[in-house]
Amino acid sequence: MRKYFLIIVNMWDEIFTYRLSFAMWRLRNVFQLLTIYFLWASLIPKQSVLFGYSQSLMLTYVIGTSFLSAVILSTRTYEIGDNINSGNLSALLLKPINYFGYWFAKDIGDKLVNISFSLVELFLLFFLLRPPLFLQTDIVPLLFFIITICLGILLYFCIGSLLGMIGFWSPEVWAPRFIFFILIGFFAGILFPLDIFPKPIFNILQLLPFPYLLFFPLKVYLGQLSMPEILKGISISVIWIFSLTYIMVLVWRKGLRMYTAYGN
Amino acid sequence: MVISVSNLSKYYTTHKKDAGLLGSIKSFIARKYETIKAVENISFTIGEGELVGFIGPNGAGKTTTLKCLSGLLYPTSGRVSVLGFTPYERNHTFLKQISLVMGQKNQLWWDLPVIESIQLQKEIYSITDEKYKKTLSELTELLEIADLLSVQVKKLSLGQRMKCELLAAIIHTPRVLFLDEPTIGLDVVMQKKLREFIKEYNKHYMATIMLTSHYMKDVEALCKRVIIINHGTLLYDGQLSDLVKKHAPYKIIKVILDKYIDPKKLAPLSEVLYFSYPELVLRVSQKNIGKVATKILDKFPVENITIEDPDIEQVIREVFTKQKR
Repeated sequence: MRKYFLIIVNMWDEIFTYRLSFAMWRLRNVFQLLTIYFLWASLIPKQSVLFGYSQSLMLTYVIGTSFLSAVILSTRTYEIGDNINSGNLSALLLKPINYFGYWFAKDIGDKLVNISFSLVELFLLFFLLRPPLFLQTDIVPLLFFIITICLGILLYFCIGSLLGMIGFWSPEVWAPRFIFFILIGFFAGILFPLDIFPKPIFNILQLLPFPYLLFFPLKVYLGQLSMPEILKGISISVIWIFSLTYIMVLVWRKGLRMYTAYGN
Repeated sequence: MVISVSNLSKYYTTHKKDAGLLGSIKSFIARKYETIKAVENISFTIGEGELVGFIGPNGAGKTTTLKCLSGLLYPTSGRVSVLGFTPYERNHTFLKQISLVMGQKNQLWWDLPVIESIQLQKEIYSITDEKYKKTLSELTELLEIADLLSVQVKKLSLGQRMKCELLAAIIHTPRVLFLDEPTIGLDVVMQKKLREFIKEYNKHYMATIMLTSHYMKDVEALCKRVIIINHGTLLYDGQLSDLVKKHAPYKIIKVILDKYIDPKKLAPLSEVLYFSYPELVLRVSQKNIGKVATKILDKFPVENITIEDPDIEQVIREVFTKQKR
Protein backbone atom coordinates (compact mmCIF):
# COMPACT_ATOMS: atom_id res chain seq x y z
CA MET A 1 0.00 0.00 0.00
CA ARG A 2 2.90 2.30 0.74
CA LYS A 3 3.69 2.56 -2.96
CA TYR A 4 0.32 4.08 -3.68
CA PHE A 5 0.79 6.47 -0.80
CA LEU A 6 4.17 7.51 -2.26
CA ILE A 7 2.61 8.05 -5.67
CA ILE A 8 0.05 10.35 -4.05
CA VAL A 9 2.82 12.28 -2.29
CA ASN A 10 4.89 12.53 -5.50
CA MET A 11 1.84 13.79 -7.36
CA TRP A 12 1.36 16.47 -4.73
CA ASP A 13 5.02 17.54 -5.04
CA GLU A 14 4.80 17.55 -8.81
CA ILE A 15 1.79 19.85 -8.84
CA PHE A 16 3.59 22.22 -6.52
CA THR A 17 6.50 22.58 -8.90
CA TYR A 18 3.99 24.21 -11.23
CA ARG A 19 2.49 26.45 -8.59
CA LEU A 20 1.68 29.29 -10.91
CA SER A 21 -0.22 27.29 -13.48
CA PHE A 22 -2.05 25.50 -10.73
CA ALA A 23 -2.95 28.79 -9.07
CA MET A 24 -4.25 30.04 -12.43
CA TRP A 25 -6.33 26.92 -12.84
CA ARG A 26 -7.85 27.49 -9.41
CA LEU A 27 -8.42 31.16 -10.18
CA ARG A 28 -10.35 30.14 -13.27
CA ASN A 29 -12.55 27.95 -11.08
CA VAL A 30 -13.13 30.78 -8.64
CA PHE A 31 -14.22 33.12 -11.42
CA GLN A 32 -16.54 30.51 -12.83
CA LEU A 33 -18.02 29.99 -9.41
CA LEU A 34 -18.47 33.71 -8.84
CA THR A 35 -20.18 34.17 -12.21
CA ILE A 36 -22.70 31.44 -11.57
CA TYR A 37 -23.09 32.47 -7.98
CA PHE A 38 -24.03 36.05 -8.76
CA LEU A 39 -26.22 34.98 -11.65
CA TRP A 40 -28.37 32.80 -9.44
CA ALA A 41 -28.25 35.23 -6.53
CA SER A 42 -29.85 37.87 -8.75
CA LEU A 43 -32.25 35.45 -10.48
CA ILE A 44 -33.70 34.21 -7.23
CA PRO A 45 -34.38 37.04 -4.81
CA LYS A 46 -34.50 36.24 -1.11
CA GLN A 47 -37.71 34.58 0.07
CA SER A 48 -38.73 33.55 -3.44
CA VAL A 49 -38.57 30.19 -5.14
CA LEU A 50 -37.59 29.41 -8.72
CA PHE A 51 -37.74 25.93 -10.32
CA GLY A 52 -38.37 24.60 -6.82
CA TYR A 53 -35.19 26.15 -5.43
CA SER A 54 -35.02 28.85 -2.82
CA GLN A 55 -32.06 31.20 -2.98
CA SER A 56 -30.22 29.44 -0.20
CA LEU A 57 -30.74 25.99 -1.74
CA MET A 58 -29.59 27.19 -5.15
CA LEU A 59 -26.53 28.96 -3.81
CA THR A 60 -25.65 25.92 -1.74
CA TYR A 61 -25.98 23.87 -4.92
CA VAL A 62 -23.71 26.23 -6.85
CA ILE A 63 -21.04 26.36 -4.18
CA GLY A 64 -21.41 22.61 -3.72
CA THR A 65 -20.67 21.93 -7.38
CA SER A 66 -17.51 23.99 -7.10
CA PHE A 67 -16.32 21.92 -4.17
CA LEU A 68 -17.40 18.60 -5.70
CA SER A 69 -15.63 19.49 -8.93
CA ALA A 70 -12.42 19.52 -6.95
CA VAL A 71 -13.30 16.20 -5.33
CA ILE A 72 -14.73 14.33 -8.29
CA LEU A 73 -13.84 16.08 -11.54
CA SER A 74 -10.12 16.54 -10.87
CA THR A 75 -8.11 13.83 -12.53
CA ARG A 76 -4.80 12.79 -14.02
CA THR A 77 -6.20 10.14 -16.33
CA TYR A 78 -5.26 12.24 -19.36
CA GLU A 79 -1.70 11.15 -18.62
CA ILE A 80 -2.68 7.67 -19.80
CA GLY A 81 -3.00 8.98 -23.35
CA ASP A 82 0.23 10.93 -23.13
CA ASN A 83 1.96 7.90 -21.70
CA ILE A 84 0.80 5.69 -24.53
CA ASN A 85 1.82 8.17 -27.20
CA SER A 86 5.24 8.93 -25.78
CA GLY A 87 6.00 5.23 -25.29
CA ASN A 88 6.71 5.82 -21.62
CA LEU A 89 3.95 3.38 -20.85
CA SER A 90 6.55 0.67 -21.49
CA ALA A 91 8.43 1.53 -18.33
CA LEU A 92 5.23 1.23 -16.35
CA LEU A 93 4.28 -2.08 -17.92
CA LEU A 94 7.57 -3.57 -16.81
CA LYS A 95 6.98 -2.73 -13.18
CA PRO A 96 5.30 -5.13 -10.80
CA ILE A 97 2.42 -2.77 -10.15
CA ASN A 98 -1.27 -2.59 -10.95
CA TYR A 99 -1.61 0.00 -13.70
CA PHE A 100 -5.07 1.13 -12.75
CA GLY A 101 -3.98 1.36 -9.14
CA TYR A 102 -1.08 3.51 -10.24
CA TRP A 103 -3.26 5.95 -12.12
CA PHE A 104 -5.93 5.96 -9.47
CA ALA A 105 -3.31 6.90 -6.88
CA LYS A 106 -2.24 9.77 -9.14
CA ASP A 107 -5.87 10.81 -9.36
CA ILE A 108 -6.17 10.85 -5.59
CA GLY A 109 -3.02 12.96 -5.32
CA ASP A 110 -4.42 15.44 -7.78
CA LYS A 111 -7.75 15.50 -5.97
CA LEU A 112 -6.15 16.16 -2.59
CA VAL A 113 -4.35 19.23 -3.88
CA ASN A 114 -7.51 20.50 -5.55
CA ILE A 115 -9.60 19.85 -2.48
CA SER A 116 -7.26 21.74 -0.19
CA PHE A 117 -7.25 24.73 -2.51
CA SER A 118 -10.98 24.56 -2.91
CA LEU A 119 -11.46 24.59 0.86
CA VAL A 120 -9.35 27.71 1.21
CA GLU A 121 -11.26 29.41 -1.60
CA LEU A 122 -14.61 28.52 -0.13
CA PHE A 123 -13.54 29.71 3.28
CA LEU A 124 -12.61 33.09 1.81
CA LEU A 125 -15.89 33.15 -0.07
CA PHE A 126 -17.92 32.55 3.08
CA PHE A 127 -15.99 35.21 4.82
CA LEU A 128 -16.51 37.83 2.09
CA LEU A 129 -19.99 37.06 0.77
CA ARG A 130 -21.64 35.41 3.75
CA PRO A 131 -23.98 33.41 1.53
CA PRO A 132 -27.19 31.99 2.96
CA LEU A 133 -26.10 28.37 2.96
CA PHE A 134 -28.18 25.35 3.65
CA LEU A 135 -26.44 23.14 6.19
CA GLN A 136 -27.49 19.53 6.24
CA THR A 137 -27.61 18.29 9.80
CA ASP A 138 -29.40 14.99 9.31
CA ILE A 139 -26.92 12.14 9.47
CA VAL A 140 -28.65 9.88 6.91
CA PRO A 141 -28.36 12.20 3.88
CA LEU A 142 -24.81 13.05 4.95
CA LEU A 143 -23.90 9.39 4.98
CA PHE A 144 -25.41 8.84 1.55
CA PHE A 145 -23.71 12.02 0.39
CA ILE A 146 -20.32 10.49 1.19
CA ILE A 147 -21.25 7.22 -0.52
CA THR A 148 -22.38 9.02 -3.68
CA ILE A 149 -19.17 11.07 -3.73
CA CYS A 150 -17.11 7.87 -3.66
CA LEU A 151 -19.19 6.43 -6.47
CA GLY A 152 -18.75 9.65 -8.43
CA ILE A 153 -14.97 9.43 -8.04
CA LEU A 154 -14.94 5.88 -9.37
CA LEU A 155 -17.29 6.75 -12.20
CA TYR A 156 -15.20 9.68 -13.32
CA PHE A 157 -12.04 7.60 -13.11
CA CYS A 158 -13.60 5.06 -15.50
CA ILE A 159 -14.71 7.75 -17.94
CA GLY A 160 -11.36 9.55 -17.78
CA SER A 161 -9.35 6.35 -18.25
CA LEU A 162 -11.43 5.35 -21.23
CA LEU A 163 -10.80 8.77 -22.77
CA GLY A 164 -7.08 8.35 -22.06
CA MET A 165 -7.01 4.98 -23.76
CA ILE A 166 -8.04 6.61 -27.01
CA GLY A 167 -4.28 7.09 -27.17
CA PHE A 168 -3.94 3.46 -28.23
CA TRP A 169 -5.72 4.27 -31.47
CA SER A 170 -5.10 7.93 -32.08
CA PRO A 171 -2.49 10.45 -31.05
CA GLU A 172 -5.23 13.06 -30.67
CA VAL A 173 -6.33 12.44 -27.13
CA TRP A 174 -6.92 16.06 -26.27
CA ALA A 175 -9.71 16.91 -28.69
CA PRO A 176 -12.17 14.26 -27.46
CA ARG A 177 -11.24 15.01 -23.88
CA PHE A 178 -11.90 18.69 -24.34
CA ILE A 179 -15.32 18.10 -25.86
CA PHE A 180 -16.12 15.62 -23.14
CA PHE A 181 -14.97 17.99 -20.47
CA ILE A 182 -17.54 20.53 -21.62
CA LEU A 183 -20.28 17.92 -22.06
CA ILE A 184 -19.58 16.35 -18.72
CA GLY A 185 -19.63 19.73 -17.04
CA PHE A 186 -22.97 20.48 -18.57
CA PHE A 187 -24.67 17.11 -18.07
CA ALA A 188 -23.23 16.67 -14.61
CA GLY A 189 -24.99 19.85 -13.57
CA ILE A 190 -22.08 22.21 -13.05
CA LEU A 191 -24.02 25.26 -14.26
CA PHE A 192 -27.47 24.54 -12.85
CA PRO A 193 -29.36 21.68 -11.24
CA LEU A 194 -30.47 19.23 -13.91
CA ASP A 195 -34.08 18.99 -12.65
CA ILE A 196 -34.63 22.40 -14.20
CA PHE A 197 -34.86 20.56 -17.52
CA PRO A 198 -38.30 19.45 -18.71
CA LYS A 199 -39.30 16.15 -17.15
CA PRO A 200 -38.81 13.92 -20.27
CA ILE A 201 -35.31 15.22 -20.89
CA PHE A 202 -34.46 14.97 -17.22
CA ASN A 203 -35.63 11.36 -17.18
CA ILE A 204 -33.34 10.47 -20.07
CA LEU A 205 -30.43 12.30 -18.45
CA GLN A 206 -30.88 10.27 -15.32
CA LEU A 207 -30.04 7.13 -17.24
CA LEU A 208 -26.66 8.56 -18.27
CA PRO A 209 -23.66 8.37 -15.95
CA PHE A 210 -23.04 12.12 -15.89
CA PRO A 211 -25.67 13.30 -13.37
CA TYR A 212 -24.11 10.98 -10.80
CA LEU A 213 -20.90 12.97 -10.85
CA LEU A 214 -22.19 16.21 -9.33
CA PHE A 215 -25.92 16.67 -9.50
CA PHE A 216 -26.96 13.50 -7.71
CA PRO A 217 -24.61 13.77 -4.72
CA LEU A 218 -25.65 17.36 -4.20
CA LYS A 219 -29.34 16.53 -4.35
CA VAL A 220 -28.66 13.91 -1.72
CA TYR A 221 -26.89 16.48 0.41
CA LEU A 222 -29.71 18.97 0.04
CA GLY A 223 -32.08 16.29 1.29
CA GLN A 224 -34.38 16.66 -1.69
CA LEU A 225 -34.50 13.00 -2.61
CA SER A 226 -36.63 10.29 -1.09
CA MET A 227 -35.01 7.05 0.01
CA PRO A 228 -36.22 5.08 -3.07
CA GLU A 229 -34.86 7.86 -5.30
CA ILE A 230 -31.49 7.71 -3.55
CA LEU A 231 -31.33 3.94 -3.88
CA LYS A 232 -32.35 4.10 -7.52
CA GLY A 233 -29.62 6.65 -8.23
CA ILE A 234 -27.02 4.62 -6.41
CA SER A 235 -28.04 1.50 -8.33
CA ILE A 236 -27.76 3.27 -11.66
CA SER A 237 -24.31 4.62 -10.85
CA VAL A 238 -23.13 1.25 -9.59
CA ILE A 239 -24.36 -0.38 -12.80
CA TRP A 240 -22.49 2.27 -14.77
CA ILE A 241 -19.32 1.74 -12.75
CA PHE A 242 -19.44 -2.00 -13.30
CA SER A 243 -20.13 -1.77 -17.01
CA LEU A 244 -17.56 0.96 -17.59
CA THR A 245 -14.94 -0.98 -15.61
CA TYR A 246 -15.69 -4.00 -17.74
CA ILE A 247 -15.37 -1.97 -20.93
CA MET A 248 -12.24 -0.32 -19.56
CA VAL A 249 -10.54 -3.67 -18.96
CA LEU A 250 -11.56 -4.91 -22.41
CA VAL A 251 -10.33 -1.76 -24.11
CA TRP A 252 -7.11 -1.88 -22.09
CA ARG A 253 -6.44 -5.46 -23.16
CA LYS A 254 -7.22 -4.77 -26.77
CA GLY A 255 -5.18 -1.60 -26.70
CA LEU A 256 -2.22 -3.29 -25.05
CA ARG A 257 -2.15 -5.93 -27.72
CA MET A 258 -1.86 -3.17 -30.28
CA TYR A 259 0.60 -1.20 -28.28
CA THR A 260 3.90 -1.77 -29.95
CA ALA A 261 5.86 0.78 -27.99
CA TYR A 262 6.25 3.62 -30.44
CA GLY A 263 9.36 5.68 -30.89
CA ASN A 264 12.53 3.78 -30.23
CA MET B 1 19.62 -21.43 -19.18
CA VAL B 2 18.48 -18.02 -18.08
CA ILE B 3 17.26 -16.93 -21.48
CA SER B 4 16.11 -19.27 -24.16
CA VAL B 5 14.61 -18.20 -27.43
CA SER B 6 13.52 -20.64 -30.06
CA ASN B 7 12.20 -19.72 -33.49
CA LEU B 8 11.09 -16.31 -32.33
CA SER B 9 9.28 -14.24 -34.95
CA LYS B 10 7.62 -10.90 -34.52
CA TYR B 11 5.68 -9.30 -37.34
CA TYR B 12 4.05 -5.92 -37.19
CA THR B 13 1.06 -5.07 -39.26
CA THR B 14 0.87 -1.42 -40.05
CA HIS B 15 -1.55 0.25 -42.36
CA LYS B 16 -0.13 2.04 -45.31
CA LYS B 17 -1.16 5.62 -45.75
CA ASP B 18 -0.56 7.89 -48.70
CA ALA B 19 0.56 11.39 -47.90
CA GLY B 20 -1.90 14.23 -47.46
CA LEU B 21 -5.56 14.59 -46.60
CA LEU B 22 -6.73 12.55 -49.56
CA GLY B 23 -4.44 9.77 -48.46
CA SER B 24 -5.95 9.90 -44.99
CA ILE B 25 -9.46 9.61 -46.36
CA LYS B 26 -8.47 6.79 -48.66
CA SER B 27 -6.80 4.88 -45.87
CA PHE B 28 -9.88 5.43 -43.72
CA ILE B 29 -12.20 3.90 -46.29
CA ALA B 30 -10.05 1.14 -47.69
CA ARG B 31 -7.15 0.32 -45.49
CA LYS B 32 -4.17 -1.43 -46.96
CA TYR B 33 -2.23 -3.49 -44.50
CA GLU B 34 1.40 -4.27 -44.70
CA THR B 35 3.35 -6.82 -42.72
CA ILE B 36 6.76 -5.88 -41.48
CA LYS B 37 8.91 -8.75 -40.38
CA ALA B 38 10.87 -7.19 -37.55
CA VAL B 39 12.27 -10.46 -36.29
CA GLU B 40 12.20 -13.75 -38.10
CA ASN B 41 12.99 -17.18 -36.76
CA ILE B 42 15.65 -16.32 -34.24
CA SER B 43 16.97 -18.86 -31.75
CA PHE B 44 19.60 -18.56 -29.06
CA THR B 45 20.22 -19.29 -25.42
CA ILE B 46 22.08 -17.32 -22.80
CA GLY B 47 23.41 -18.72 -19.55
CA GLU B 48 23.59 -17.22 -16.09
CA GLY B 49 26.06 -14.36 -15.67
CA GLU B 50 26.79 -13.97 -19.37
CA LEU B 51 27.24 -10.53 -20.85
CA VAL B 52 26.18 -10.69 -24.47
CA GLY B 53 26.42 -8.00 -27.10
CA PHE B 54 23.51 -7.74 -29.44
CA ILE B 55 24.54 -6.04 -32.65
CA GLY B 56 22.85 -4.95 -35.81
CA PRO B 57 22.19 -1.80 -37.80
CA ASN B 58 19.15 0.39 -37.21
CA GLY B 59 15.94 -1.50 -37.79
CA ALA B 60 17.63 -4.88 -37.54
CA GLY B 61 15.21 -6.05 -34.88
CA LYS B 62 17.35 -5.65 -31.77
CA THR B 63 14.92 -3.57 -29.78
CA THR B 64 12.01 -5.73 -30.88
CA THR B 65 13.80 -8.81 -29.60
CA LEU B 66 14.60 -7.15 -26.29
CA LYS B 67 10.98 -6.10 -25.97
CA CYS B 68 9.83 -9.66 -26.58
CA LEU B 69 12.28 -10.86 -23.97
CA SER B 70 11.20 -8.36 -21.36
CA GLY B 71 7.50 -8.91 -21.97
CA LEU B 72 6.50 -5.73 -23.77
CA LEU B 73 5.57 -7.50 -26.98
CA TYR B 74 3.70 -10.66 -27.82
CA PRO B 75 5.76 -12.81 -30.14
CA THR B 76 4.01 -13.64 -33.41
CA SER B 77 5.38 -17.14 -33.15
CA GLY B 78 8.09 -19.07 -31.39
CA ARG B 79 8.90 -19.64 -27.77
CA VAL B 80 10.60 -17.27 -25.37
CA SER B 81 11.54 -18.16 -21.86
CA VAL B 82 13.36 -15.93 -19.40
CA LEU B 83 14.14 -17.25 -15.91
CA GLY B 84 11.59 -19.94 -16.62
CA PHE B 85 8.81 -17.43 -17.20
CA THR B 86 6.92 -16.54 -20.34
CA PRO B 87 7.74 -12.83 -20.51
CA TYR B 88 4.55 -11.43 -22.05
CA GLU B 89 2.48 -12.75 -19.18
CA ARG B 90 4.31 -10.13 -17.14
CA ASN B 91 4.09 -12.12 -13.96
CA HIS B 92 5.06 -9.88 -11.04
CA THR B 93 7.63 -12.39 -9.76
CA PHE B 94 9.21 -12.25 -13.20
CA LEU B 95 9.12 -8.46 -13.44
CA LYS B 96 10.83 -8.15 -10.07
CA GLN B 97 13.87 -9.97 -11.45
CA ILE B 98 14.38 -8.20 -14.74
CA SER B 99 14.86 -4.72 -16.08
CA LEU B 100 14.88 -3.12 -19.49
CA VAL B 101 16.78 0.12 -19.89
CA MET B 102 16.09 2.07 -23.03
CA GLY B 103 18.48 4.94 -23.60
CA GLN B 104 15.80 7.15 -25.04
CA LYS B 105 13.00 6.47 -22.58
CA ASN B 106 12.64 7.86 -19.13
CA GLN B 107 10.81 6.71 -16.09
CA LEU B 108 12.02 9.19 -13.49
CA TRP B 109 9.51 11.81 -12.37
CA TRP B 110 10.64 14.79 -14.38
CA ASP B 111 9.85 17.51 -11.85
CA LEU B 112 10.98 15.77 -8.70
CA PRO B 113 14.37 15.08 -7.16
CA VAL B 114 15.85 11.77 -8.30
CA ILE B 115 15.59 10.17 -4.88
CA GLU B 116 11.77 10.42 -4.88
CA SER B 117 11.56 8.19 -7.93
CA ILE B 118 14.08 5.79 -6.45
CA GLN B 119 12.09 5.53 -3.24
CA LEU B 120 8.96 4.82 -5.23
CA GLN B 121 10.87 2.05 -7.01
CA LYS B 122 11.78 0.64 -3.62
CA GLU B 123 8.12 0.39 -2.71
CA ILE B 124 6.98 -0.90 -6.10
CA TYR B 125 9.58 -3.66 -6.03
CA SER B 126 9.04 -4.21 -2.30
CA ILE B 127 12.72 -4.01 -1.47
CA THR B 128 13.49 -4.37 2.22
CA ASP B 129 14.96 -1.33 4.00
CA GLU B 130 18.18 -3.11 4.70
CA LYS B 131 18.75 -4.27 1.15
CA TYR B 132 17.68 -0.91 -0.24
CA LYS B 133 20.21 0.98 1.86
CA LYS B 134 22.99 -1.38 0.87
CA THR B 135 22.23 -1.41 -2.87
CA LEU B 136 21.63 2.31 -2.98
CA SER B 137 24.99 3.13 -1.45
CA GLU B 138 26.76 0.57 -3.61
CA LEU B 139 25.18 1.73 -6.84
CA THR B 140 25.46 5.45 -6.17
CA GLU B 141 29.13 4.93 -5.44
CA LEU B 142 29.70 2.88 -8.57
CA LEU B 143 27.83 5.41 -10.70
CA GLU B 144 29.29 8.40 -8.83
CA ILE B 145 25.96 10.11 -8.42
CA ALA B 146 25.59 10.46 -4.66
CA ASP B 147 25.37 14.23 -4.93
CA LEU B 148 22.79 14.13 -7.73
CA LEU B 149 20.09 12.31 -5.81
CA SER B 150 18.54 15.45 -4.38
CA VAL B 151 18.55 17.32 -7.70
CA GLN B 152 15.40 17.68 -9.79
CA VAL B 153 15.52 15.35 -12.76
CA LYS B 154 14.89 18.14 -15.25
CA LYS B 155 17.98 19.97 -14.05
CA LEU B 156 20.34 17.07 -14.78
CA SER B 157 22.51 16.86 -17.85
CA LEU B 158 21.86 14.03 -20.29
CA GLY B 159 24.73 11.94 -18.96
CA GLN B 160 23.76 12.50 -15.36
CA ARG B 161 20.16 11.65 -16.12
CA MET B 162 21.16 8.50 -17.93
CA LYS B 163 23.06 7.34 -14.88
CA CYS B 164 20.12 8.13 -12.63
CA GLU B 165 17.76 6.30 -14.99
CA LEU B 166 20.06 3.34 -14.76
CA LEU B 167 20.03 3.54 -10.98
CA ALA B 168 16.22 3.55 -10.98
CA ALA B 169 16.15 0.62 -13.37
CA ILE B 170 18.44 -1.60 -11.33
CA ILE B 171 17.79 -0.59 -7.73
CA HIS B 172 15.97 -3.91 -7.36
CA THR B 173 19.17 -5.65 -8.57
CA PRO B 174 17.61 -7.57 -11.43
CA ARG B 175 19.07 -10.95 -12.30
CA VAL B 176 18.50 -10.25 -15.97
CA LEU B 177 19.23 -6.87 -17.44
CA PHE B 178 18.42 -5.74 -20.96
CA LEU B 179 20.27 -2.62 -21.99
CA ASP B 180 19.16 -0.93 -25.17
CA GLU B 181 21.66 1.70 -26.27
CA PRO B 182 22.66 2.65 -22.74
CA THR B 183 25.46 4.94 -23.89
CA ILE B 184 23.55 6.80 -26.58
CA GLY B 185 24.24 10.53 -26.64
CA LEU B 186 26.94 10.36 -23.98
CA ASP B 187 30.42 11.77 -24.32
CA VAL B 188 33.45 9.50 -24.51
CA VAL B 189 34.39 9.82 -20.85
CA MET B 190 30.88 9.10 -19.68
CA GLN B 191 30.58 6.17 -22.09
CA LYS B 192 33.67 4.66 -20.61
CA LYS B 193 32.43 5.11 -17.07
CA LEU B 194 29.09 3.56 -17.89
CA ARG B 195 30.84 0.64 -19.55
CA GLU B 196 32.93 0.06 -16.47
CA PHE B 197 29.81 0.18 -14.40
CA ILE B 198 28.02 -2.41 -16.52
CA LYS B 199 31.01 -4.71 -16.26
CA GLU B 200 31.17 -4.24 -12.52
CA TYR B 201 27.45 -4.83 -12.12
CA ASN B 202 27.70 -8.02 -14.15
CA LYS B 203 30.47 -9.34 -11.93
CA HIS B 204 29.25 -8.11 -8.60
CA TYR B 205 25.65 -9.32 -8.91
CA MET B 206 26.27 -12.26 -11.25
CA ALA B 207 23.66 -10.69 -13.50
CA THR B 208 22.89 -11.86 -16.99
CA ILE B 209 23.11 -8.89 -19.32
CA MET B 210 22.11 -8.38 -22.92
CA LEU B 211 23.31 -5.17 -24.43
CA THR B 212 22.70 -3.44 -27.71
CA SER B 213 24.82 -0.57 -28.84
CA HIS B 214 25.81 1.35 -31.88
CA TYR B 215 29.23 1.90 -30.44
CA MET B 216 31.40 -1.10 -31.17
CA LYS B 217 33.70 0.13 -28.43
CA ASP B 218 30.98 -0.75 -25.93
CA VAL B 219 30.70 -4.25 -27.27
CA GLU B 220 34.43 -4.79 -27.60
CA ALA B 221 35.05 -3.66 -24.07
CA LEU B 222 32.23 -5.61 -22.49
CA CYS B 223 31.20 -8.68 -24.37
CA LYS B 224 33.04 -11.85 -25.16
CA ARG B 225 30.06 -13.20 -26.97
CA VAL B 226 28.06 -11.40 -29.61
CA ILE B 227 24.83 -12.06 -31.43
CA ILE B 228 24.51 -10.29 -34.73
CA ILE B 229 21.22 -9.80 -36.49
CA ASN B 230 20.17 -7.94 -39.58
CA HIS B 231 16.80 -7.65 -41.28
CA GLY B 232 15.36 -9.68 -38.45
CA THR B 233 17.47 -12.77 -39.02
CA LEU B 234 20.38 -14.09 -37.03
CA LEU B 235 23.74 -13.81 -38.78
CA TYR B 236 26.20 -14.81 -36.12
CA ASP B 237 26.21 -16.11 -32.58
CA GLY B 238 29.52 -16.80 -30.92
CA GLN B 239 32.73 -15.39 -29.54
CA LEU B 240 33.73 -11.98 -30.78
CA SER B 241 37.29 -13.20 -31.34
CA ASP B 242 36.06 -16.08 -33.52
CA LEU B 243 34.05 -13.65 -35.56
CA VAL B 244 37.19 -11.72 -36.35
CA LYS B 245 39.05 -14.91 -37.23
CA LYS B 246 36.25 -16.22 -39.38
CA HIS B 247 35.24 -13.11 -41.24
CA ALA B 248 38.51 -11.28 -41.22
CA PRO B 249 41.38 -13.74 -41.45
CA TYR B 250 43.78 -10.91 -42.18
CA LYS B 251 45.74 -8.13 -40.54
CA ILE B 252 46.16 -4.54 -41.50
CA ILE B 253 49.67 -3.24 -42.18
CA LYS B 254 50.07 0.50 -41.95
CA VAL B 255 53.23 1.97 -43.43
CA ILE B 256 54.55 5.49 -43.41
CA LEU B 257 56.92 5.88 -46.36
CA ASP B 258 60.07 7.95 -46.53
CA LYS B 259 59.98 8.51 -50.24
CA TYR B 260 57.31 8.29 -52.88
CA ILE B 261 57.03 4.94 -54.64
CA ASP B 262 54.89 3.70 -57.47
CA PRO B 263 51.91 1.89 -55.97
CA LYS B 264 51.99 -0.62 -58.82
CA LYS B 265 55.11 -2.09 -57.30
CA LEU B 266 53.10 -2.98 -54.23
CA ALA B 267 50.33 -4.75 -56.03
CA PRO B 268 51.89 -8.20 -56.18
CA LEU B 269 52.64 -8.07 -52.46
CA SER B 270 49.11 -7.81 -51.16
CA GLU B 271 45.86 -5.90 -51.43
CA VAL B 272 46.29 -2.13 -51.17
CA LEU B 273 43.46 -0.67 -49.18
CA TYR B 274 44.59 2.90 -49.20
CA PHE B 275 47.49 4.85 -50.55
CA SER B 276 48.18 8.51 -50.29
CA TYR B 277 51.78 9.39 -49.90
CA PRO B 278 53.25 8.98 -47.34
CA GLU B 279 50.54 6.76 -45.87
CA LEU B 280 49.97 3.25 -47.11
CA VAL B 281 47.51 0.69 -45.80
CA LEU B 282 47.64 -2.95 -46.82
CA ARG B 283 45.48 -5.92 -46.11
CA VAL B 284 47.45 -9.11 -45.63
CA SER B 285 46.19 -12.58 -44.98
CA GLN B 286 47.07 -14.09 -41.62
CA LYS B 287 49.64 -16.57 -42.97
CA ASN B 288 51.52 -14.13 -45.21
CA ILE B 289 51.95 -11.48 -42.61
CA GLY B 290 55.58 -12.21 -41.77
CA LYS B 291 56.67 -12.56 -45.36
CA VAL B 292 55.02 -9.35 -46.49
CA ALA B 293 56.28 -7.32 -43.59
CA THR B 294 59.88 -8.39 -44.19
CA LYS B 295 59.62 -7.60 -47.87
CA ILE B 296 58.30 -4.14 -47.21
CA LEU B 297 61.05 -3.41 -44.76
CA ASP B 298 63.65 -4.78 -47.20
CA LYS B 299 62.59 -3.16 -50.40
CA PHE B 300 60.91 0.12 -49.55
CA PRO B 301 61.99 3.26 -47.76
CA VAL B 302 59.94 2.82 -44.59
CA GLU B 303 59.79 5.34 -41.82
CA ASN B 304 57.31 3.48 -39.67
CA ILE B 305 55.33 0.27 -39.86
CA THR B 306 52.53 -1.14 -37.70
CA ILE B 307 50.53 -4.34 -37.84
CA GLU B 308 47.00 -4.17 -36.50
CA ASP B 309 43.92 -6.29 -36.10
CA PRO B 310 41.16 -5.32 -38.46
CA ASP B 311 38.77 -2.74 -37.12
CA ILE B 312 35.86 -4.56 -35.51
CA GLU B 313 33.37 -2.17 -37.03
CA GLN B 314 34.81 -2.96 -40.45
CA VAL B 315 34.46 -6.68 -39.79
CA ILE B 316 30.84 -6.34 -38.84
CA ARG B 317 30.13 -4.17 -41.82
CA GLU B 318 31.56 -6.97 -43.94
CA VAL B 319 29.31 -9.51 -42.28
CA PHE B 320 26.33 -7.38 -43.22
CA THR B 321 27.39 -6.82 -46.81
CA LYS B 322 28.13 -10.49 -47.27
CA GLN B 323 24.58 -11.22 -46.25
CA LYS B 324 23.20 -8.89 -48.88
CA ARG B 325 25.09 -10.67 -51.65
